[in-house]
Amino acid sequence: MRDPNAIDFWRGFALVTIFINHIPGNTFERYTFSQYGISDAAELFVFLAGWSIGIATRGRDGVPEPAGKSVVRLLNRTVEVYRAQLTVMLMALAIIAGAALLLDNPLILEWHNAGGFFADPIQSVCGMVLLTYQLGYFNILPLYVLLIGVAPLFVLVGRYSLVGTLVLSGGIYLASLVFEWNLPSWPGEGDWYFDPFCWQVLLVLGFLLQRWNARSDFVRRWARRLFPAGIVIVLAGIVLAVTEIRPDPMLVPEPRLLFTFEKTYLTPARLVHFLGVLLAFAPVYALLAPRIGRIVGYLTQLGRNSLAVFSMGSILSLIGQLVRFQTGGGLLIDMLVAGSGLIGLGLTAWFVEWRTRSKAPRLRP
Amino acid sequence: MVRRVAYPQQGSEAAAVSTVRPRPSRQAAILAAVMLAASASPPRAEQMADPSASEPSLSLECRVPGAQLYTAAKLGAVQAALAEKRPIKLLAIGGSAAPGASASYPAKLEAALERALPKVDVVIDHRGLPGEIASGAAERLRTMVVEAEPDLVVWQVGTHDAIARVDAEAFESALAEAVTWIRSHGIDVVLVDPIYTASMAADADYNRIVEAVRTVATQQQVPLVRRYEALHYLSSRIDRGEGHFLGRQFRLNDLGLRCMAEHVALTIVTSLAKTETPLEPKAAPATPPLTGAQRAPG
Repeated sequence: MRDPNAIDFWRGFALVTIFINHIPGNTFERYTFSQYGISDAAELFVFLAGWSIGIATRGRDGVPEPAGKSVVRLLNRTVEVYRAQLTVMLMALAIIAGAALLLDNPLILEWHNAGGFFADPIQSVCGMVLLTYQLGYFNILPLYVLLIGVAPLFVLVGRYSLVGTLVLSGGIYLASLVFEWNLPSWPGEGDWYFDPFCWQVLLVLGFLLQRWNARSDFVRRWARRLFPAGIVIVLAGIVLAVTEIRPDPMLVPEPRLLFTFEKTYLTPARLVHFLGVLLAFAPVYALLAPRIGRIVGYLTQLGRNSLAVFSMGSILSLIGQLVRFQTGGGLLIDMLVAGSGLIGLGLTAWFVEWRTRSKAPRLRP
Repeated sequence: MVRRVAYPQQGSEAAAVSTVRPRPSRQAAILAAVMLAASASPPRAEQMADPSASEPSLSLECRVPGAQLYTAAKLGAVQAALAEKRPIKLLAIGGSAAPGASASYPAKLEAALERALPKVDVVIDHRGLPGEIASGAAERLRTMVVEAEPDLVVWQVGTHDAIARVDAEAFESALAEAVTWIRSHGIDVVLVDPIYTASMAADADYNRIVEAVRTVATQQQVPLVRRYEALHYLSSRIDRGEGHFLGRQFRLNDLGLRCMAEHVALTIVTSLAKTETPLEPKAAPATPPLTGAQRAPG
């Protein structure tokens, strides 16, 4: 088990934010940082996944592990995330169907795009396995599967040249913004909610910054110098979010994705805002850690077990939405839903670590 | 190529004379048809024995009196596309086929529109839009509209916000803003309000969301498919007949999904007929005011 660290802390923080934001309309939504900027917790989550890849593909001494081992390690992780996605999707569909039956309310069947599944299970079940059929609020894991699946490519290029990785990833990013590349949804028309061609750049940035940060103090030096710029960007983000000022996607010049704020394509404005948030908040962990030990302990435990916590968070937020729907919501219900959800996330992380501990002796006799 | 708005209620007389651009008589026929549709009252519609005599574009199981089914309003962009004799690009948002239905909603809608508007090519782009209009989904809608560049957006709206218990006022202002934005770019909008189901009938929040969709449709002068009202009407009829293995509400829901395409097509065609009417350019209100009886119960 890792000791508390900034990466796990921020990942836990992102997980809690995503959980709260996935119960739309709840009272606490407006207190999450997602409401006060252009980018949100999804960016943080993907970036930290990239950073972790940088750590995981090296030994403790900083020497890179054999290339084959890194590829198998990432493949193993891809399988784990894919398995989680299938499990979570099936459970979500069952919860939606079960709630519709129990409450005698077919309205619920249309929820989160689930109607397509119930109307056309033959195509939808294929789409589910292919990751092209996604439920609303359940579209981060498919992206994650794909990104970790292609990560070996970037990691291996990085063995020769980190700049090469940056050029490759940045090139794909810019090209998909200009030509609007995205993966299709199926069944049904449309595209993925998180465009993997665009979002890969954030995973790669996380990976690259981790590498450069480990090699020299170049990244840290520049992060300190650019700190004021980060503050300015964060403040600008707050103003834009609160005043709801954003470019009209119909009026911006071509190629339009370079100018809009669209989450699907992680447009440059979102990317720049996220990097600003990173610059402004990177020093915060060191300031907080000694003061809020218990909260740091909770969040880092979530962060260490991010896949299980994220999966359980998706299910708990769906149940939370149902509870809000059936009871009519209100502050008391929201406190109950959010409170028991946060306890549920903590228990999930604890359970995963307990299971790993109790399994360990049998695995290594 | 003769462009015809073959409104089914015109009957054989109008169809016979409209082959060589007899504009005035055609328009008169359409106007009459609209009047007929607008004035159709429930008992009258039920008394019609012959399915082809009244609102024949609706199949027997989907038949709902016009006043309870839609509010028509002008569709300028679609009309312009018709005038230029180019295909109508339609962006259908939300909705899916009923379980076991042979054709999905977009395919049925395309077929229904092409039946009603002969020689007109209708191209439908169908997208799901999960999420709440009041938080995030309206932004996603903009992306879809920019990508699809449609003449008309048919938007089934309100269900997600209702389930998420979004405040009706926040929903209404977000919806109004989104509709204004779409229309500001010369694109027509048809709104479709949420479904009727017994367990929600007495739910005040739910009815406020349904009401908000109507308010926005009236204020923005866009056609509205009154799905709530239509399903409520149909629910009284399916008391008889065979049940559904999941219960009556699920049977009604399936029926509603099956009928969606027909109901939307009729609303569009009726609205188009209105758009053509030069006799009363702006004198007549685009949307008849809501009467007490038309409102959602509860």
